[in-house]
Amino acid sequence: MAALTRSPLSRRTLLRGLGAAALAPTLGLPLAACGSDDSESGGGSGGGTVTFVYYGDAESQKAYDQLFTKFRSEHPEITLKAQGIAAKSWADFANAVATRLAGGQQLDVVQIATEGQRIFMTKDLLEPLDDYIKKDQAAVDAYYKDTPESIRTFLQQYASKDGQTFFMPGGYNTMALYLNTKIFTDAGVEPPTDTWTWEEFRAAGQAIKTKTGAFLTAAGTGYFTDVMPWMLNNGAAPISEDWTKSTINTPEAVEALTFARSLVVDGLAPKPGGTFDAPTQMAKGKLATFGGGRWPTNDLRRLKFVDPVELVKWPQQAKPGSPVGWDAWPILKQSKNKDSAWIFITYLISETFGDAITAGGGGAVPARISDATGPEFLKDAPKNTELLVDLLDVATPIPGPDRGAETQKVIEEAWTQGITGTKDPQTALAEADSKLQALLS
Amino acid sequence: MTTVADPRVEGVARRLWRHPSSGGRQSPLAGWLFLSPALLLFLLFILGPFIAAMALSFYSYDLLTPAKFIGLDNFKALRTDELLLKSLGNTFIFAFASVVTHLVGGLLLALAVNRGVHKALSYFVRTAIFFPFLISWAAVALLWKYVLDPTFGIFSYYLGVIGITAPDWFTDPAWALPSIIGIDFWHTIGYTFLIMLAGLQTVPAEMTEAAVVDGASRVQTFFFVTLPLMTPTMFFASVITFIGAFQIFDPVQIITQGGPNDSTMTAVMYLYQTGFQAFQIGYASTIALVVFAVIMLVTLIQFWGSRKWVHNA
Repeated sequence: MAALTRSPLSRRTLLRGLGAAALAPTLGLPLAACGSDDSESGGGSGGGTVTFVYYGDAESQKAYDQLFTKFRSEHPEITLKAQGIAAKSWADFANAVATRLAGGQQLDVVQIATEGQRIFMTKDLLEPLDDYIKKDQAAVDAYYKDTPESIRTFLQQYASKDGQTFFMPGGYNTMALYLNTKIFTDAGVEPPTDTWTWEEFRAAGQAIKTKTGAFLTAAGTGYFTDVMPWMLNNGAAPISEDWTKSTINTPEAVEALTFARSLVVDGLAPKPGGTFDAPTQMAKGKLATFGGGRWPTNDLRRLKFVDPVELVKWPQQAKPGSPVGWDAWPILKQSKNKDSAWIFITYLISETFGDAITAGGGGAVPARISDATGPEFLKDAPKNTELLVDLLDVATPIPGPDRGAETQKVIEEAWTQGITGTKDPQTALAEADSKLQALLS
Repeated sequence: MTTVADPRVEGVARRLWRHPSSGGRQSPLAGWLFLSPALLLFLLFILGPFIAAMALSFYSYDLLTPAKFIGLDNFKALRTDELLLKSLGNTFIFAFASVVTHLVGGLLLALAVNRGVHKALSYFVRTAIFFPFLISWAAVALLWKYVLDPTFGIFSYYLGVIGITAPDWFTDPAWALPSIIGIDFWHTIGYTFLIMLAGLQTVPAEMTEAAVVDGASRVQTFFFVTLPLMTPTMFFASVITFIGAFQIFDPVQIITQGGPNDSTMTAVMYLYQTGFQAFQIGYASTIALVVFAVIMLVTLIQFWGSRKWVHNA
């Protein structure tokens, strides 16, 4: 990268040949280069400004900012700027961060979810953390000891190269079913077991529809929230385990989409494509189940409908499964205050921050096991919320290849076509297969 | 009322703008000063980005790593880009439908309001028709998602009451683009309506009255007097409606994101996805130039064609 920076070719060619307005492409140069020039691995006492960017809208900004009160009082020498970016999905969030970086914004620490971790690493935008970790080995060891081993393994597998560490793991989400126990009781349907099957699920839905008129479940088209759970519980996945091949057109995947479609056809799920708000409909007694990680708990709290709800496993066909996505914190190479950025990360992995974000009601399962299984996390939450942690045992990471946003679009598009009946599931997934393969190769 | 000029202001004004009758030469400074805000905005937000887009179209640039000069590769890629062709096709359909429905709808609404209805009623109708135009696209899109919800939507409900099964407005490829066209019509017809109304009010009453005195019927008066005099207004409306419609983005991004099956993929939507989801900024810039060229070409054709049908008084 440094060699590219010193090369006069791209900058001068642009300036001479195409005029001053052609400066835009050169914005990538300082971005890609500053890591080498300003790199200060380990050591140092910090100071200056640290800009931290996280996924969140303006509303969450205030709550998020309160989490850093202690950090600010402990480190008055560091000016922390925490900025939320509102986005529709984690892939969109990663795109928004990339656009800011290209626009020349000085960012130091970024909250990046699984969908964006690999591309940030492969684009050489991240500073290896190994030297910093050595410096604070005891704190990092204590953190690792209290976080799920599987998440660290996934990070090494999907977002690491040459044995280097680029991310400290943060919170995560798996997918369970939020179940309205009252509707099940009213319909005289037994609560599901841990191994309930798709057919048992459908049978429950038919009884519920007949006796209460409520929908069994919501038929969404989300990559993480719908496509992955249905496929994984049938032993399928849209993309291979190493994120290099499309596997969206296997018989198991087709079967999963066919089953999801049948729920809409049978009137057990509302037609997708509208504005169906699952937590609200559940609170109104019109919906028996919907899928989610930790985040719907906040909606149910807002609707004061936590008590009648219980978390259960997704119904399975071939084997149990759940997607998992996690956020993680790297230091950007462009950071001019890497020491201070690391000091901030040590705060993010501290018990203090873990406790604060758990009490603050974040939308993910806290990274620390002690927080995720502690009373604060389980308080005012649906019964069996611990399931979100237990599901890690059968979880598969949400694939986040380099062209993540595009792959997500192809997958969701195919699922939409299949579930709405615009195309039959086999055709929809076969068409998506070739598009996906092109994006992954 | 008597005003007393501030001598300091007068002095400055005199220095900036010497009247020819005073024997001095006009200073261009005042003109430039008045022009500068618009000029600055034009340079920053139109000419600058335009030149940047031209430059970027010769590069491969992913926002995150340095740009690479690739010559004409982006332009060559246009020839085999099927999705670009589809998006241009969709955009032409949208723009054509938009121009036709806005011109006809706007003129009919204007004619209805311009007739001798009660003044208060006229104000109310004008406000009601124009009001949706004041609402942001985000709110309009959400509103219509509720109205056209396949399960709970009020529109789908009433269609069901009269025995019609509502289609899947936004998830059926056959209906998604017509739905967007309809929503766009509802949102923006107020603007065309106002232009048409303003045009109608410039038609001299003496001419229509003379036609009536000469024995022309209402229909004849409309087609042989009013309509020809309205053609400059209609021409203006058709040009700006086409230019706006060809850049349609907001409702598509909020409601369908170009789907289902790319049936609502418009040129600007495709440009956005290419640039900010696929990170192919260079190629996206090339698409931007194509969009610019198409709009310019169609506008030139419209101007050329106007000589044949626009009435010049």
